Amino acid sequence: MKWKFDFIRFSFLMIFILIIASWMFIINVEKADFFNLFSNKNIFHAKKFLRDLTGIGNKNPAFKDVEAWKNALQLTYKTLVMSIMAIGFAAIGMIITVIPAARNAADSTLTMSNKWYNWILFGVIRCLYIFSRAVPELIWAMIIVFIFKPGILPGAIALALHNFGILGKLCAEVVEDLDLKPIRNLSSSGASTGQILIYGVLPMVTPKFITFILYRWEVIIRTTIVVGFVGAGGLGQQFKLSMSWFHYTEVALLLICYILLVILADLLSEGLRRVFQ
Amino acid sequence: MRDLRHSIDLHKRTFLTLGLILVFFWSLLSVEWGTNLFHSGGGVTILQIAYGFFHPDLSPEILNLAITSSWTTLTYAVAGMTIAILIAFVFGIMASGVISAGKMTTLFSMSFFRGLLGFMRAIHELIWAWLFVAAIGLSPFAAILALAIPYGGTLGRIFADIINDVPKEPIEALKSSGASKLQALFYGYLPLAMGDMISYAMYRFECAIRSSAIMSFVGLGGLGYQIHLSLADLEYDEVWTFMFFLIGLVVIIDLWSNLLRKRLVE
Repeated sequence: MKWKFDFIRFSFLMIFILIIASWMFIINVEKADFFNLFSNKNIFHAKKFLRDLTGIGNKNPAFKDVEAWKNALQLTYKTLVMSIMAIGFAAIGMIITVIPAARNAADSTLTMSNKWYNWILFGVIRCLYIFSRAVPELIWAMIIVFIFKPGILPGAIALALHNFGILGKLCAEVVEDLDLKPIRNLSSSGASTGQILIYGVLPMVTPKFITFILYRWEVIIRTTIVVGFVGAGGLGQQFKLSMSWFHYTEVALLLICYILLVILADLLSEGLRRVFQ
Repeated sequence: MRDLRHSIDLHKRTFLTLGLILVFFWSLLSVEWGTNLFHSGGGVTILQIAYGFFHPDLSPEILNLAITSSWTTLTYAVAGMTIAILIAFVFGIMASGVISAGKMTTLFSMSFFRGLLGFMRAIHELIWAWLFVAAIGLSPFAAILALAIPYGGTLGRIFADIINDVPKEPIEALKSSGASKLQALFYGYLPLAMGDMISYAMYRFECAIRSSAIMSFVGLGGLGYQIHLSLADLEYDEVWTFMFFLIGLVVIIDLWSNLLRKRLVE
């Protein structure tokens, strides 16, 4: 009881020290000057950038151009396809690995099959989950474009690798929290391990799995634009190009498409999730 | 007809699940499958990357660099989170609508701030970073603000939900003994919501570490920047050293926040 109290106090002290040390480091070593942000030069640049984005004073801004709209919408569609592919790959990986990754499957309370390699499999898959989710999507993408040619596939794989770990962890917890009574019932009436999984576990976990998959899909939609930066196709790639060419009205157009896509995905996934709850 | 509708209702979930699977297969059609997908040296690269995984570069100067860049990544994550929490705290309270007087003002404040928070988190932190760099130039604040805005948006929305979800009885008790809205906030809502709020902020802290690592794309030093440089030099053994430091950092923060959260929520 006493130790518990101390741990919280220790943690808060650590957080406090960390915050002070971080700001000291950033201000003294990295030379961040907050008031310099509002210098005349910066304000001038910021104003100019905003003017360029909104296309004020530009004779033919991208939002008035039919071709630019067509191109942007096509890229939005590609981005959408990439996100669906990514969540699909992640979900397949998760479904293959999730049962051995659950603690109650490893100690054989779930499937009633006690094999010597259960705990080894459990450990290996859990490490795999931690590994793949600790590395951000963008870094996965930077590595994967070394192997695949640019396109939507490398982007989808990078997104899938990161989300595989997250989905795996969330879904393994779902399996661990299962009500074991129906499963006992099946196994006492002579069901094999495979039958237990199909008739006992699968119907109970599917709604929760799909809820998590849809929730991660929302997050993936938001991130697809980022993996595009390293050449994985979609809106992100065009965003980077337009940025480097200083075609700021095009950037604004792409941002509009991106925000619309995010809002649409949020609404869609919320509606679908309601069905599964 | 009623039977049909009933059975559709019963199998609604199955149909939707099948539909989702079909959508996935349809998405696969947009890729031209074949060997053309790989770079000509792709296979060799995989082997080199795999070799680097088992033989990370552990020379003193690389380790030294990895430690200093881990520290940079950590400091920016902490700095971004401090501002994000401040934003989330103020906007979250506004979005929960507990301190505004009158029905119309409450409705306005709730929908305005919820919309604002939604907009802040709809745009990925790296896009914010890029926009800031284009507007105010390369400054540490570009990265910090870029982290703080989307994280503030997410945290603020959750803070508002937590404040709206606190049990109503203690608040009613306070109000009936004559507490003003602000007093109800400070003596009723906040003490009740604080545990959950801190717990969620700690959870997001782990994500902030990862986001701070990828800020290298807009020129911020740190682990992501080093990974980027080593990849450009094709030094896969160095890449893995930095990757292991990043993974270690994320795992330590994750463990710590899990331990703390468990004790806070109880």
